[in-house]
Amino acid sequence: MTAPTIPSMRPPVPVLRLSPRVLLIDPIRMLPSLVVPLAGVLIAGGFSAASFGWAALGVAASVVFAVIRWATFTYSIADGRLELTRAFIGRSVRTIPLERIRGVDVTAPPMHRVLGLAVLKLDTGAGGDEQEGELDGVTKQEAERLRATLLADREQHAAAADDAAGHTGPEGRRYARVPRSWLRYGPLSGAYLFTPFALLAGAIGLAFQWGEEFGLNQRAAWRALEWLWDRPYLLVAAAAALVLAMPVLGWLMYALFNWDFTLSGRGGYLIAERGLITRRVVSLERRRIRGYELGESLLERRFHVARLWAVVTGLGDSRTRGQLLPVVPRPFAETVAVEAVGPIGAPLRRHPLMARRRRLFRAIVPWAVFAAIAFALGFVVVGCVLLLVAAAGVPLGLDRYRSLGHAFDGRRLSVRSGSVRRTQAVVERRAVVGWTIRQTWFQRGGRVLTVTAGVGAGKGGYSAVDTGEEQGVAFAAEVTPAWITPFLTSHDG
Amino acid sequence: MLRDPANQVSRRAITLWLLESLTWFVFVVGGSILVAYWLSGWSPIDGWPVWLLPIVVTLLMLPGVIVEPLWRFAVHRWEFSDDVVYARSGWLSREWVFVPVSRIQTVDKAQGWFERLLRLATVEIRTASHAGSSTIKGLDFTVAAQLAADLAHRARELRDDAT
Repeated sequence: MTAPTIPSMRPPVPVLRLSPRVLLIDPIRMLPSLVVPLAGVLIAGGFSAASFGWAALGVAASVVFAVIRWATFTYSIADGRLELTRAFIGRSVRTIPLERIRGVDVTAPPMHRVLGLAVLKLDTGAGGDEQEGELDGVTKQEAERLRATLLADREQHAAAADDAAGHTGPEGRRYARVPRSWLRYGPLSGAYLFTPFALLAGAIGLAFQWGEEFGLNQRAAWRALEWLWDRPYLLVAAAAALVLAMPVLGWLMYALFNWDFTLSGRGGYLIAERGLITRRVVSLERRRIRGYELGESLLERRFHVARLWAVVTGLGDSRTRGQLLPVVPRPFAETVAVEAVGPIGAPLRRHPLMARRRRLFRAIVPWAVFAAIAFALGFVVVGCVLLLVAAAGVPLGLDRYRSLGHAFDGRRLSVRSGSVRRTQAVVERRAVVGWTIRQTWFQRGGRVLTVTAGVGAGKGGYSAVDTGEEQGVAFAAEVTPAWITPFLTSHDG
Repeated sequence: MLRDPANQVSRRAITLWLLESLTWFVFVVGGSILVAYWLSGWSPIDGWPVWLLPIVVTLLMLPGVIVEPLWRFAVHRWEFSDDVVYARSGWLSREWVFVPVSRIQTVDKAQGWFERLLRLATVEIRTASHAGSSTIKGLDFTVAAQLAADLAHRARELRDDAT
């Protein structure tokens, strides 16, 4: 026919399903929860032909269940919204307006990766995982297409806003790709150090859960414990092995999670990608980034390395999702922070000497008091150990004082504190939603106070600890003059 | 330096704080009597004057019970001007909070049943951050209602200006 076709009112909306390949994953995922009932059926039936029949029926039923669930779950994008429809038992439709989608998180757990699939999580800023949308098992290409489609709408807005603000990021630029050799800094962060203990606890839990099935009961467990108790060298060896395993396993976990970490910018988004087995891609909307946090443990400072997080408004689980860099050399972290977020152009101001006295007091005196109590009660060894701890409080207190500082450069404010875990936060002024100034009885005696900038992002509040009375109030007044100056005494001093 | 916020809270707030600290006082002294009673049968301290414990607790707490409400009344002050809520609270430790109207998300007016009895109310002003949120306690009920209404009104005006 040559007659022009009449355009339909609306193009048909494609109704999409998850990739059928996800059906290969589902039964494997269900396996752990199936093993026990299946074993139960087999054992109860005495491994007879009938019991195998029932077990097979159970497996078949779970496969059918997975297929039906897959067939009845559809999603579609139309009219500026994403609809997730479940029609298995009853019918539920979740509608997510595209403009509410603030970020898209693509992860590929190992099985998904083998099959070329990915899990797409939508960050709607609703808070609480229940409210957020999830597409578990789309092909990689589809995940990429969805990410582009879902974010396209926002990118236009964001680009417009960025142009207005005058800080459009260059298209598709890569800020950082962490070389593999830097993975060696991993153990310095102290992250995942307790992995061996977590594994052990998990193993014990599993042994108890499964043990019941195999005739292991409490009495047997007690007997095992008593047997161990009689052989203390075994316990000591196990403890030593656990302690030795701490850095090794910790490093392994760190490497698994932070393998080939890349940070790039595309459109209005910062995209962090990482992981060896599970590859995780987190998109952070640049418009919602309000600053950054630079974190260093004592060891990390010794080796001049640091970690970097973004301070993002309305981001749940911000310590995992907001991570911009794993452990990297500090100058590198600073460069990336400046390029990706923005600089702080003012040096940190020192806090009064009273702050140093308070840091020292708090690091030393409690331990000294405990030591005195221990000596009084006759526990000499414990007392000596506590005295050593108290002595260690001297450098610790001094270092804590050196860490303290605050600054404002007209656009961003910065506060720093901590010693064993030192963090410096840099936050834009427009993110500040209010101030809290606190002065305890003891601070009052020393004429110092703690000023906290309330920020609707990240930790919610960033404190300048033990500033001078005048200094702290002046800091708040400097950042947001309109909110503070009306309440200052008219005469200076 | 910061000046005092303009307004005091209601005088009845002293009664409120007194009731609250008395409740706490009764609770702790009652607990210490129970502990003393329980300890009296314990051999290692046989012969010690165990009944001194509740008396010592009472003597230690009583000045606080009386002083705290009066002290709080002197410290707790608030003000709403230049589109900023400025409030001070605490007694031994003090806290000054500044919340600009433009950042307020919700304003709640709440009444516990002591407060209800005394016709007092608490105004809770929330922003996106806990550190930028303020709770003003011990306001006269009508004053609290007026403040909440003013805040809501001004917040709406500011929003309309912005759009």
